[in-house]
Amino acid sequence: MPVNEAPTASAATAATAATAATAFEPTILAFCCHWCTYSGADLAGLNRMSYPANVRVLRVPCSGRVNPQFVLTALNKGCDGVLVCGCHPGDCHYVSGNYFARRRLMAFKRLLEFTGLEPERFQVRWISGSEAGKFRDTVIEVCDQIRALGPYRSGVSDDVSLNG
Amino acid sequence: MSLSTAEALTDALREEARRLLAEGTVAVVVGWEAGRFPNQTTPAFISDPEQAQRLVYGDYCVNTLAKYALGEKAAGKVAVCVRGCDSRGINRMIADNQLLRDEVYLLGLPCSGMKDPATGSLLMKCRTCTEHDAVTYDVLLGPATAAGHDGASADSSAGDSEHVSDEQRFTAVLGIEEMAPEKRRALFDAAFNKCIRCYACRKSCPCCTCRECFVDQLRAGWQGKQNNLAENRFYNITRVFHIGDRCIECGECERACPMGLPLMALNRKMVKDLKSLFNADDAGMTEENSAALGRYDLGDLEEFM
Repeated sequence: MPVNEAPTASAATAATAATAATAFEPTILAFCCHWCTYSGADLAGLNRMSYPANVRVLRVPCSGRVNPQFVLTALNKGCDGVLVCGCHPGDCHYVSGNYFARRRLMAFKRLLEFTGLEPERFQVRWISGSEAGKFRDTVIEVCDQIRALGPYRSGVSDDVSLNG
Repeated sequence: MSLSTAEALTDALREEARRLLAEGTVAVVVGWEAGRFPNQTTPAFISDPEQAQRLVYGDYCVNTLAKYALGEKAAGKVAVCVRGCDSRGINRMIADNQLLRDEVYLLGLPCSGMKDPATGSLLMKCRTCTEHDAVTYDVLLGPATAAGHDGASADSSAGDSEHVSDEQRFTAVLGIEEMAPEKRRALFDAAFNKCIRCYACRKSCPCCTCRECFVDQLRAGWQGKQNNLAENRFYNITRVFHIGDRCIECGECERACPMGLPLMALNRKMVKDLKSLFNADDAGMTEENSAALGRYDLGDLEEFM
């Protein structure tokens, strides 16, 4: 299981230098709906499930709260991937939030892919409060995919390879 | 359109504008007047009946006038010259509660596509236009394009300008969709790198009517001030997403862009997706707001789980 292993003392020296170029650890931002996915993540913790520490969980009231600009901002500010998780359709605490999110994020994902973003970098999943296992599996899956892709280059001013 | 058609329409437009202003029906007429150079026109705002003869109509009236109605409505009722694009823009602003139908008086004009003053060929935005003639008007100043259309004006590149199929309309989008992701990224990175964020696309767009745009909300800090690829991409993608479900495809953003960004390819990508995924209507055909992202359906397709 690709769990983020704590660095050992020996790994901190020559071995790190040798593998630094290949050992890329992505940063993934996960927007989790307070009513479902956040509880699911909590349950995963209670059950002592282990998943990569690359994921940063950000609690939002509803997947409908996720403004597409959040996704762009996250990528610009150094995240390598963004995951949006909410209640399954029909289970929204606010009745319709995830239905709006579904349309909006589907269209947005297609737009981002149109401009060349890798599909894996922005993903949306429905994870309920009892689906701790699905949360763990999703995080592992997304993390593996983005680790394989490598770091996201947003083209900020220090990213000389893209400014020209 | 032929010279005689253009002259007849110009005369009819001047006469109607003079009458409306003299009667006091409207406070201002928004149309076009001759520019400094041949084949150049510029939007004109006429409030004196004596000045109505400044108005012109012809092959080079490239500006879509809809957005100007908003700026003029404080003076009173605004008469706006409308073709397909202008009238859809007016409908769009009515749907967005920016304008009341009573606040405008629409002078319908036939259109067979406008020409680029620099090259004399049909404007890009007119080649892919689906509605040449006004979809709504108070008075129609000439016969519809189908009747007024004459062979002399038909640009060879325009083909049959009467019916633009979805394939023609989405040609650019389909071409880009077929590219490999890296090529698409390179294409749009090159485009966004050119962007100088003058916001002309926003200014010219009949859908961009927020009182305070997100780029001006400095304290919220959505948009950074740097001109770099990341910020330019942030602006352009957000702009498209904000207007995507309401875009009337008038093409003013792309025409107004001084850096030649492929903005309509982005807009049409949204239009095409919303149409195929959610069966969205073409925006601006009626005064009703049916923006696809403002509603939902229980049975919506899911591409993720």
